[in-house]
Amino acid sequence: MEKWYEEAGEESDVVIASKVSLARNVAGVHFTNRQTDEESAKLLDLVLDKMSNYGDDGGNYDASPISELREVDRASLMERHLASPLLIQKKNTGILIPDDESASIMVGEEDHLRMQVLKSGMNLEEAYTRVNDMDDYADEVLGLAFHPKFGYLTASPVNAGTGLHASFLVYLPALSASGKIPQLSQEVSRYGVNLHGVYGENQKTYADIFQMTNQKTLGCNEYELMEMMNGMVQQIIRQERKYREYALNQNYDQIADQIYRSYGVLKYARQLTTKDAVTLLTQIKLGVDTGILTLEEDKNIYSLIMDIQPNNLQFIAGANLGNQQRDQMRAEYISDNLPELAED
Amino acid sequence: MLCSKCQKREAKVFCTEIIDGQKKEQYLCEQCASEYASFHMNRDAMSEETIGGLLSSMLEAYQRRLGEDEREEAEDEEDSVCKSCGLSWNEILEQGELGCEECYQAFRPQLIRSLKQVQGSTVHTGKKPRRKKRTESVHADISEIDRLSLMLQDAVEKEEFEKAAKLRDEIRAYHKKHSEKEEA
Repeated sequence: MEKWYEEAGEESDVVIASKVSLARNVAGVHFTNRQTDEESAKLLDLVLDKMSNYGDDGGNYDASPISELREVDRASLMERHLASPLLIQKKNTGILIPDDESASIMVGEEDHLRMQVLKSGMNLEEAYTRVNDMDDYADEVLGLAFHPKFGYLTASPVNAGTGLHASFLVYLPALSASGKIPQLSQEVSRYGVNLHGVYGENQKTYADIFQMTNQKTLGCNEYELMEMMNGMVQQIIRQERKYREYALNQNYDQIADQIYRSYGVLKYARQLTTKDAVTLLTQIKLGVDTGILTLEEDKNIYSLIMDIQPNNLQFIAGANLGNQQRDQMRAEYISDNLPELAED
Repeated sequence: MLCSKCQKREAKVFCTEIIDGQKKEQYLCEQCASEYASFHMNRDAMSEETIGGLLSSMLEAYQRRLGEDEREEAEDEEDSVCKSCGLSWNEILEQGELGCEECYQAFRPQLIRSLKQVQGSTVHTGKKPRRKKRTESVHADISEIDRLSLMLQDAVEKEEFEKAAKLRDEIRAYHKKHSEKEEA
């Protein structure tokens, strides 16, 4: 089955992916921070058992306790945006994933259940429709904690109400190169939206891929929240395209040179670190999206970016690899999978 | 040193440009430099706030604004404990998380305050569980008087006035019974 990120999505020159997640708790059971090990183990069994018959467009959901997964598999789940770091670290947690990896149900994280659906490009609506069905099913088989005034109850009151977080993964090379990100981040935060870099740690992010997510979950309904996020991302898309056009007008030759150099390195280097590979691949994406560079075959560059993350790579190789071996394998993988340049 | 382009701001970036084989070197301020950059510039640090800390700092600010009497009341509130999971409001502030669904009922006044500050609203207007049975069982979990008032609201909204009148009487009877108990 084709994975979700291999599909072409709307506005994909800027919006790489959309995600909707819902935080839920099972009624009558203490939240995870007040559970004994015994209670959390019991809850995990219950949820995995009750939800394991669930299926939707993504296929059947495969249930596994995190403790039964190999270390590589766990980390690779994080790299594919399916599991959170907290889920991996905590005791008695589990995950359910459909065949196309377009969704996941995390069990025993901050809340009993965190259900999420990912879509390629800009498409919160479809993601919500699917996660909403998942929510109805969970309520049917488990019974979820709901309060007439406060809505869906969550461990942290900052998630209460709809429990809904809508996110976009956006690629903003031109805004970033123009030094506009701090300003943008400040602007969206005024509307209760958080913007942060996806690759890299702490303050040092690279590759200009950002995630934006709503912080408020109470007071607006699900559709109003998504509408607000859509309006905001549309504004960002317009800005980014404007800056790209400006940068290309000013420095076309330098940018084209940089993009072709990146292609050369990716195609012929014998060792590549994750950071180098991701940075260079995003430049290929920019080249393809702006028409500077044409590939023989239509390939979603972001799927390559996901594949070459350290643990995904080992997951694909099916073996534990050392650092240098990994960089070599990464270079080989990219060389094999990056399509040839189309002839003019 | 001033920026060699705008001559106004402090220069922070050294920039070498090669145009038609001519090398041009200049010192620029961040703003002017950003117009030149074609690919990567150092970004300013972006900080992420932690929610738990945020919640407690907002509430501390709230308590500082309170008068003496109200502050004592607020301190009493801090010591109150959720009957179901045993968590106190103080502990909740520290960890930024509630312990169970009952906490929402036990710390209702404090929560309404903090939700207003954190979320800008205190009332859920979104999705309700599809099954009506569920809402009813939730109603059964909350206190008798809250349940009656919610049912009254519901009856008024649906214009079921006979039912509403009956509920109003029940609420009166409940209050009467309650005040007698307190007097005794």
